[in-house]
Amino acid sequence: MIDFKGSINRRDFLRGAAYTGLAAAMGLSSDFCWATTETKKTRVVLIRNSDVIDTSGNIDSRILGEMLDRAVVKLTDKASPLEAWRQLISPSDTLGIKSNEWGPLPTPPELEQAIKDRALDIGIPAENIDIDDRNVLYSDVFLNSTALINVRPLRTHHWSGIGGCLKNYIMFVPKPHEYHDDSCADLAALWDLPLVKGKTRLNVLAVLTPQFHNIGAHHFDKKYIWQYKGLLVGNDPVAVDAVGVHLLEAKRGLYFKEDKPILPPPHHVVYGEIRHKLGVCNPAKIELVRLGWQEDVLI
Amino acid sequence: MNIQLSIKQLLSGIILLVILSLVFMSCSADENNDSMAMKQLIPDKILGWSAEELKFYDRETIFDYMNGAGEIYRLYDYHKLLVKRFSNIDKFDIKVEIFDMGSSKDAYGIFSHSRQSENIGIGQGSEYNNGLLSFWKCGYYVCVLSGIENDEAKEILFKFAQTIEYNIKGKGILPDIIKYLPEEGLLDNSIRYFHRHESLNCHYYLASANILNLNTETEAVLASYSPDKMFLLIIDYENTDLADKAYESFINNYIPEADNGLAEIQGNKWVKTLQLDHYIIVVFDAGNSVQANKLVAAAAAKIEMQPVI
Repeated sequence: MIDFKGSINRRDFLRGAAYTGLAAAMGLSSDFCWATTETKKTRVVLIRNSDVIDTSGNIDSRILGEMLDRAVVKLTDKASPLEAWRQLISPSDTLGIKSNEWGPLPTPPELEQAIKDRALDIGIPAENIDIDDRNVLYSDVFLNSTALINVRPLRTHHWSGIGGCLKNYIMFVPKPHEYHDDSCADLAALWDLPLVKGKTRLNVLAVLTPQFHNIGAHHFDKKYIWQYKGLLVGNDPVAVDAVGVHLLEAKRGLYFKEDKPILPPPHHVVYGEIRHKLGVCNPAKIELVRLGWQEDVLI
Repeated sequence: MNIQLSIKQLLSGIILLVILSLVFMSCSADENNDSMAMKQLIPDKILGWSAEELKFYDRETIFDYMNGAGEIYRLYDYHKLLVKRFSNIDKFDIKVEIFDMGSSKDAYGIFSHSRQSENIGIGQGSEYNNGLLSFWKCGYYVCVLSGIENDEAKEILFKFAQTIEYNIKGKGILPDIIKYLPEEGLLDNSIRYFHRHESLNCHYYLASANILNLNTETEAVLASYSPDKMFLLIIDYENTDLADKAYESFINNYIPEADNGLAEIQGNKWVKTLQLDHYIIVVFDAGNSVQANKLVAAAAAKIEMQPVI
């Protein structure tokens, strides 16, 4: 018999309380609870504002910037945005802002600019800041970076289950397909690359208009996005993605009116905790702080 | 002697070069023929739309086009993708993708991978979902996409698809294994045909490891059944010996406590498995043991009635 030691199966996720949180992060169970303040291991801030997108779909840059500042203040427990950003990055940093340019749902330019403005505000010279996605391996700033900020929209993905913070670093390797095995199970390994390791100061998962379902490999349908008008912000990319999974599962349950888990299950988020120890995905270890607009918050 | 040897060596070298050149030209010719054949499936002008750009992607370069999602096609015998973009100065853009899937079985397989809607009568299986029309015919899987969704766009996509369908001559055959699915309780549009365990995990997450020993040569079909939306999986291995090993692996790694292949893995979640020569049948998520046994027995009866050697 082949030894499958170290592999996980469906039954592992269905067995007992120890796995309940992991099953939830895979979309295989809705039986979980978030950590309380007393038991917190990692904090993820969800901030929403009903006015950040107008009726025509335009993003209000000022409101978005305020949301980002407020989330960072809460994340760092600092008194002001400037102090909060100074805790994350310093004027001597060379900063790569890792964005995502996927055609139908890219990182909003307003969000990229808001992050860049904060970096400029704390004194990083403009020439030491770059925003990029597919060309990070050809960018002097990224190649010499001392700090990274990871920003992208949340969406379902035909191969990895979801496109979130963990997956966003796949462009840091020359051959991304080398990380595709087993539905991108080991995306968290990307975070050990010398170009990346230890540099990420902030993860911003845009949930302004998340995509909760897709058909086929690269199909995009506006029917499957909704105006959630939020940002998920955290230091731990695994935790931020795990919250993102719960949000998408909650929306799918509401939309499809049946149990319709994300397929393939985003198990790379679970492996981010249990195999790569990059962060935590178990809701019992995540303190989810909700700020701002609470209507239809879903999670 | 030395001169004779040199001449012999020179002649051998020339012959080898000629042979290699012929082989290379033959490969190139085939490659070009395939590309030409694919190009001919879609004209440069359709209605008021004109082709703007045409590109090909093979098994390696598909990632340049769709990154990680390209893996879905590589789970099958995908050979080549033609992408052709059309524009119309007064209208919207249209994109056509034609996938050469290597066989009609795999063209059906990739179509079944994401199928969720009713057949719209194009090719040998088709569906339309808000700006995306897809169908399969022979060894081809075809997607026609518009950037927008409205009645006019839908009508144009149908016309594009019908044009391509007309140009694909012949008819492909469905995988034999499909016919072993019992009809009673079978949920619409739930049939998935595939080969590898990564595909199984896309539709029903079983395990990170390949505990059923699926590979590119195995043929598998998964479908949902009422009641309780249970799943029926049938796998056809290359021979009985491989099926024996896969059965043992599945029992040992997933349901070691099984009694005659039957186990309750959670409250009201039953798994039942049965090996029948080179086939393995598994029912997942049955609400009780009776349902699990009944569905497995129905599939087994169909296999025994129409065996494929």
